[in-house]
Amino acid sequence: MKFLFADTADTVDPAFDFERTRSPRQRRVHDDDHYPHEHLIRAPYDGILLSRAAFSDHRRSGKYGAARSMRFRREGARTFLRYPEAEFPGSIVMGDCGAFSYRDADAPLYTVDDTLSFYADGGFTHGCSVDHLIFDFFTDNREPSEEARRRQEITLTLAADFYRTSVALGKRFTPMGAIQGWSPASMADAAVDLVKMGYRSLALGGMARSPTDDIELALKAINERLGASKVAIHVLGFGKVEDAPRLKRLGVTSFDTTSPLLRAFKDDRQNYFYADGNRLGHYTAVRIPQAADDRHARASAKARTVGQEELIRLERIALGAVRAYASGEGELEQTVDRIIDYVSVVLWKDKKSEKSNTAEFAKLRSIYLRSLGERPWERCDCRVCHELGVEALIFRSTNHNKRRGFHNLAVFHSLLKSQAKVSP
Amino acid sequence: MKTIKLGPVLQLEQSSAVPVVVFRATASEILSIARIERADRREDGRLVGFQRPQIQAHINEIQDYLDEDEAPILPNAIVLGFCGGVSIKSDVLVVDGGSVPPGWVVDGQQRLTAATRTQNQDFPLLVSAFLCRSVAELHKQFILINSTRPLPRDLIYELMPGVEGLPPRLSDRTAAALLVEALNYREGSPLKGMIKQHTNRAGVIKDTLIQRVLMASLSDGALSAWRDDTSLLLGPGYAMVANFFSALRQVFADDWEGHTPKTSRLVHGVGLVAMGYVMDALAFDREARSKDDFVAGLEPLVGRTAFRSGEWEFTDQRRLWNTLQNTGADYQLLATHLVSLVRRPRGLRLASDR
Repeated sequence: MKFLFADTADTVDPAFDFERTRSPRQRRVHDDDHYPHEHLIRAPYDGILLSRAAFSDHRRSGKYGAARSMRFRREGARTFLRYPEAEFPGSIVMGDCGAFSYRDADAPLYTVDDTLSFYADGGFTHGCSVDHLIFDFFTDNREPSEEARRRQEITLTLAADFYRTSVALGKRFTPMGAIQGWSPASMADAAVDLVKMGYRSLALGGMARSPTDDIELALKAINERLGASKVAIHVLGFGKVEDAPRLKRLGVTSFDTTSPLLRAFKDDRQNYFYADGNRLGHYTAVRIPQAADDRHARASAKARTVGQEELIRLERIALGAVRAYASGEGELEQTVDRIIDYVSVVLWKDKKSEKSNTAEFAKLRSIYLRSLGERPWERCDCRVCHELGVEALIFRSTNHNKRRGFHNLAVFHSLLKSQAKVSP
Repeated sequence: MKTIKLGPVLQLEQSSAVPVVVFRATASEILSIARIERADRREDGRLVGFQRPQIQAHINEIQDYLDEDEAPILPNAIVLGFCGGVSIKSDVLVVDGGSVPPGWVVDGQQRLTAATRTQNQDFPLLVSAFLCRSVAELHKQFILINSTRPLPRDLIYELMPGVEGLPPRLSDRTAAALLVEALNYREGSPLKGMIKQHTNRAGVIKDTLIQRVLMASLSDGALSAWRDDTSLLLGPGYAMVANFFSALRQVFADDWEGHTPKTSRLVHGVGLVAMGYVMDALAFDREARSKDDFVAGLEPLVGRTAFRSGEWEFTDQRRLWNTLQNTGADYQLLATHLVSLVRRPRGLRLASDR
């Protein structure tokens, strides 16, 4: 089973100065930055999914601005992402229309023709047909809403057109038929239709927010109807990375997600991955936000009475303590106390009572005792942990947090590969 | 806190009501007699302080300058305001002991913060202090001192090419400004005298628009190959841009000569920005550099544009020529359209073109 990373301009600056928490003055965004496969020793995925929603055009603005998006169309994905086939043999570069980004619109934002030009310009190896999301999912055989039925029709009509026209992209391009449905049965129906059109590769859509149990039901229904036909199935946007092995058992050949990266800075607790035997384990990164960055200082009423200069002093003490502890000087308990001294000012929540704030900091204290006490960065051999040490476990700047995300990708990917070796 | 004496001070006789003195001091000496208090509300709603928050990027720039420049100077004074807690004895400023420094930093907080972090802790700063009778008067002085107008942007851009070692966020802008200057004033330039600048009000094309075109190419297009070297940028870089515009003027003479942005969208922001991307596409696809290269590359567009009349047929909409506007969306709409025409003049027939 292949794991594709869904990119949305997630890069780090390799020359970032962690001591001063800033990039060098000459740094150029994108050109000087590193994608995960450039930064780590091994690419932490088997391919990259690029959504059209990541690129700016006349309909909307994406993570990549106008000039950079025009450059993408010129250079193609491999050059743009610095992900050459020669260096990453057999890797996939998949495109999709970003249906989620136009979910509220009446019809898909893009035509079949301009989607194919986008795929052609990008030099994609795989590309999904133009689809329209259906959010309903009923496990009983209830009648669908008018809207769900209409959206499935749109998706299938465009898929037929897309398959026919995609011949223009040549044999090196694999067209993927997008499955949209409101129930396991309706998804299976769609899959059968797509195979009849000629598709040998299907993409299950609209399940990014669904529980794994629902995805399993859909996959089972699809498998039953398709029987022994040799069809590859990709699951679009799979967030529950812990459940990835369950997909494999249901014949899924690939899936994509950003989850391991996003967890590094969107999850309060489970934001640093490690391999706990055959399963995914977690530590909690230590929050030491930047005092000089006023957003953080302003977030707290305590900060306002403490003042920015005092905050900067407490921050310096906390950072110094963690770094000293990691290098073998200083005691664990005192180190965590210095972190809590700072955090209890900067992370103080106005809306909560003093009691619940205090309880929260007590809880954080015991969590941080585990995170720092077990020194997980010393057991990891990814470049991030190897180079940065404890810094990888500090929740701070984008460069800290995205590097931790890269580490998570590496842990997740190697776990997936080792599970593949264990199970047949 | 004990009494602090700083000086010698030079007393200026500007006002009999508000004494003003100037003297030299280090960053830490200044912070021992004055504080930076940011505007905020106490829980009871009372306003305290008046400074805006630190701007980290700005402080970093000043700090880099102080640390990395060979002979840095900060000739502007850090301005301090006092109401009480201080007196002038002969030529010395005497600051009374108290639990907190009695003065406020009225101007120069970012410079002062940068100076506290620089390697040279003895860097002497010029201080100008005034002694108010009330906090209200202090606030008034703060507003007066901080409400000066910055220089007009276009004048700053035009001055930029002659200055070296400016903060890096200006560097793409500086490179673009250099090229604009060359395009507007060099003998033989296809845009000679056409760019409207602070010093050339008669120009037809706004300088910031041409800068926009050049900056996109500098960051993500053909000009990026020469962006780090001024002489290359003004040599082959300039030549490529000039050749492209020469070709454009030749191929689209009817849409260009004698026109203004109102009468032709080609000399309007939307046409120029879109054509900038066409230049990059031709430079990338065909390695176009000479005028002839560009003339040949532009050929597929002939007869398929609507710069002065008629309407555009885009993949998902039709637009009357004069409805295209100076917006990011319209720039990209036209750019994508023109670029796909020069790349695939006959539409999507791809199996053969790879």
